[in-house]
Amino acid sequence: MTDAIHVEGLSKTYNGTVRAVDNISFSVTPGEAFGFLGPNGAGKTTTVSVLTAQLAPTAGHATVDGIDVFRDPAEIKRRIGLVFQESTADSDLTGRENLELAAALFGVPRRDVKTRIDSLLERMQIGDAADRLAKTYSGGMRRRLELAVGIIHSPRVLFLDEPTLGLDPQGRAGFWRYVQELQKENGMTVFVTTHYLDEADSICERLAIIDHGHIVATGSPSELKDRIGGDVVTIRTSRTDASIETALRALPGVTAVSVQDGAYRVKAPKGDALVPVLVQTCVQLGVGLSSVSLKRPSLDEVFLEFTGREYREDGVTATDRAVRIGQVSQAFGRSRR
Amino acid sequence: MMRELGALTRRELLRIARNPQAIATSLLLPILYLVLFGQAFNLNHISSLSPVPLPPSVFLELYRGAPSYFSYFSAGMTGFVSVTATLFVGANVIFDRLFGTLKRTAASPARPSVIFGARLIAGSMQPIGLAFLVLGLSLLLGHVGLSGLDVTASVGVVGALEIVGAIVILSVMFASLFIAIGFSLQQPQTYFAVVNAINLPVLLTSAALYPWGILPDWLKNVASYNPITLAVNVLRENLFAGASAYYPYSAGVYLLGLFGWAIAMFLVATVLANRALAPQR
Repeated sequence: MTDAIHVEGLSKTYNGTVRAVDNISFSVTPGEAFGFLGPNGAGKTTTVSVLTAQLAPTAGHATVDGIDVFRDPAEIKRRIGLVFQESTADSDLTGRENLELAAALFGVPRRDVKTRIDSLLERMQIGDAADRLAKTYSGGMRRRLELAVGIIHSPRVLFLDEPTLGLDPQGRAGFWRYVQELQKENGMTVFVTTHYLDEADSICERLAIIDHGHIVATGSPSELKDRIGGDVVTIRTSRTDASIETALRALPGVTAVSVQDGAYRVKAPKGDALVPVLVQTCVQLGVGLSSVSLKRPSLDEVFLEFTGREYREDGVTATDRAVRIGQVSQAFGRSRR
Repeated sequence: MMRELGALTRRELLRIARNPQAIATSLLLPILYLVLFGQAFNLNHISSLSPVPLPPSVFLELYRGAPSYFSYFSAGMTGFVSVTATLFVGANVIFDRLFGTLKRTAASPARPSVIFGARLIAGSMQPIGLAFLVLGLSLLLGHVGLSGLDVTASVGVVGALEIVGAIVILSVMFASLFIAIGFSLQQPQTYFAVVNAINLPVLLTSAALYPWGILPDWLKNVASYNPITLAVNVLRENLFAGASAYYPYSAGVYLLGLFGWAIAMFLVATVLANRALAPQR
């Protein structure tokens, strides 16, 4: 079966000096929800811009729905849907007029236009505001209008470039619910870029983590979490030395021990069972404990593992993320581990 | 392609129609020029101040066959509004880029020539409409006790077509020019700086407002090739009886020259628009 997206050795350098994307390769199977995860400036939007024929690459090869992106950009544009991170709907047109324009530009058969627009407006819950100018829409309504514009022609592959940026948790959850419904009904391939780890975790079947233009890891969220060796218990002690590390390493079930920021990060498949053993060991070694924390594997940990840096969402605190995780998980009635 | 062109043109026209302030502002300028400037500069009064009145032939020479300055000037105003009314057509390209609308259109399968063409069609309609409004208002003013456009020739079908052709071609030409500049620049400040650097020199080296007879020879030479002059020559030759005697060429020749300008501008604009809408390197 032909990959929905196939990328080989793709690079993009701006002005001959800034290497935004550096020799990346990956593929996405048809019907898959694939996430491209990374902090701001990692190269996510550059990759989407190249794959949607808006930006010419410096090197490499890419196909979308079997079409060479660089040889036939017009055909690519016909086959894909695209939702930008910023609002691109025309503020001076109504929601319906924006959709009518998109239908004409993307060649939706004339006889289907009205039915399809009415159906999308209803589904996106903007039917009541259909004949209002888009500039009067709330942020959430505008995002839903953007999504409707992006899928008016029933694309084979839908690109979503940080589509929930600036939305509140309810807005995000609603947006992703629509995307998942569409994906299930139409078998559409969805390529999502996001710097929200919780969204990637909940939505995507597979992920690529990109940092400084390089793909540092690829796999399903659970595969990636498994690769970091299970739970992480962080213990902060009164002192650190090699004998403590050796003793911790020797404990049954411990798969790895590292020292970061003056604390021991101990990995084990069952972290909760290890906590009392770790405390007991420290007492036996005569080492004071100032804190012990247990973390289940999360994409934050995955990012730390593969990049050596903690993940930072600009202006978003861990608490905000925790709230969103709850909201998004609730929306889908599941949570991945 | 026609469906895409129609949809994009409709979008542009809806946006114009939904901005009544901009329409009112664009009407204000020609109205003020006609009602104030044109009335105040009724140079024929100079003759009444002289102990020896100047013969009418002097004024005919000065205005190239037009019976009064207002008649001469009102024909020139049609060229004037073709420039001023198209200034914002290019600015809208920049604003659309800043607000993301252009990005959405460029990401669609519509050809760059269609995206450009729709802007050109919609962008030319406003100056064309304004130009005819100027002509209509100028005629009307003569009937309400003010200086007005005095059409002394009988304008036949060919003459009327030449007048319409000149107005349309001039508007399309300037719309092409300013859209091309809009596609080439990123910032509105830069756009307005560039446009001002073009707008005033083009207007002030044309025969739109100056009486031809008082121009120094060097300025006459420059003005002869100015597209606004070419367009207003077509109007004046057709509107005023005997005017042809004051022009070295017929209206058709001026129309042809104007067409040449428009083709050149259209080609440049198409290249720039294609470049701006192609995948960025």
